Amino acid sequence: MCYFLHYICIVKNRFLINWNIQLKKGLLPLYVLQALEKKECYGYELIQELKLEIGIDVTEGTIYPLLVRLMKDNLLTCKWVEQPSGIPRKYYQMSVEGKNNLNEMKNMVQGIFSVIK
Amino acid sequence: MKVLQFKNKNAQRVYDDYINRSKKFIKILSEKDREDCLLEINSHIYEFLENNKGNDEIENILNIIERLGQPEDTLKEVVASKKTSQAIQTFNPRFLVQALFLNIKNGFIYILLSLLLLFLMCFPILIILKLIYPKNVGFFLSDHTFIFGFTNNVNNSPEILGNWFIPIAILISTTLYFSIIFLLKLKNKK
Repeated sequence: MCYFLHYICIVKNRFLINWNIQLKKGLLPLYVLQALEKKECYGYELIQELKLEIGIDVTEGTIYPLLVRLMKDNLLTCKWVEQPSGIPRKYYQMSVEGKNNLNEMKNMVQGIFSVIK
Repeated sequence: MKVLQFKNKNAQRVYDDYINRSKKFIKILSEKDREDCLLEINSHIYEFLENNKGNDEIENILNIIERLGQPEDTLKEVVASKKTSQAIQTFNPRFLVQALFLNIKNGFIYILLSLLLLFLMCFPILIILKLIYPKNVGFFLSDHTFIFGFTNNVNNSPEILGNWFIPIAILISTTLYFSIIFLLKLKNKK
């Protein structure tokens, strides 16, 4: 009986862990736009920013395709900046369309959470 | 792209292998897009290594490669997206075929466009057949049916286009081709 209850707790926690991951994954474009609203960032800097400000550890393998997707949707612009090291950095900036979308996204999220009691 | 240099030979091998795998996967892209992808990957690796300098080189490179994921997975969407943009911008049929193939799992619209492209490929074949079998290829009209293409039964239904068949086939295929590009552009803009 004790083992059974323990198993139920693990399953429940696993559900919550997965749900939490999915929730953050869904909100990731919002987090990225929010971070880039403050200042332009290069890939690694953006990951650190998200870790520091939002508390999520996004891998490079996740952030790179997402940035390309946001660029394709004209929400971001980018520029290569040469560095003394010889390895240039690609800086991402939020576009006007990105700014408009971010405001809409914030309203949508607030609308969703406002009905949760 | 500036190649990163490691003191540890094994770290160098791991890095070189990852870059070579990435190069192999993105060779389908234009030179400019290939360079852009490689510079971005290299930048991610370099910045991670620079910010974790105290650690072992081999451990560092393994960590960043794990974070980047398999190039075939990480770059899949990037390659599909850049190839689609290339197809739209250049109108090149080869790029269009590649773009549709790469995106085939990304939604019903890509399946539909691939089917339209297959349908489009019938027209050049019909044009060649028209030149070889002029009496059997054309627009055959009978009382209740019509055939636009090849038929052996030419006695019952007369062919009405004659020499106009080839220009009309070219016109239909061109219109279809530009419609596919237009739909792809529309989908890409969404």
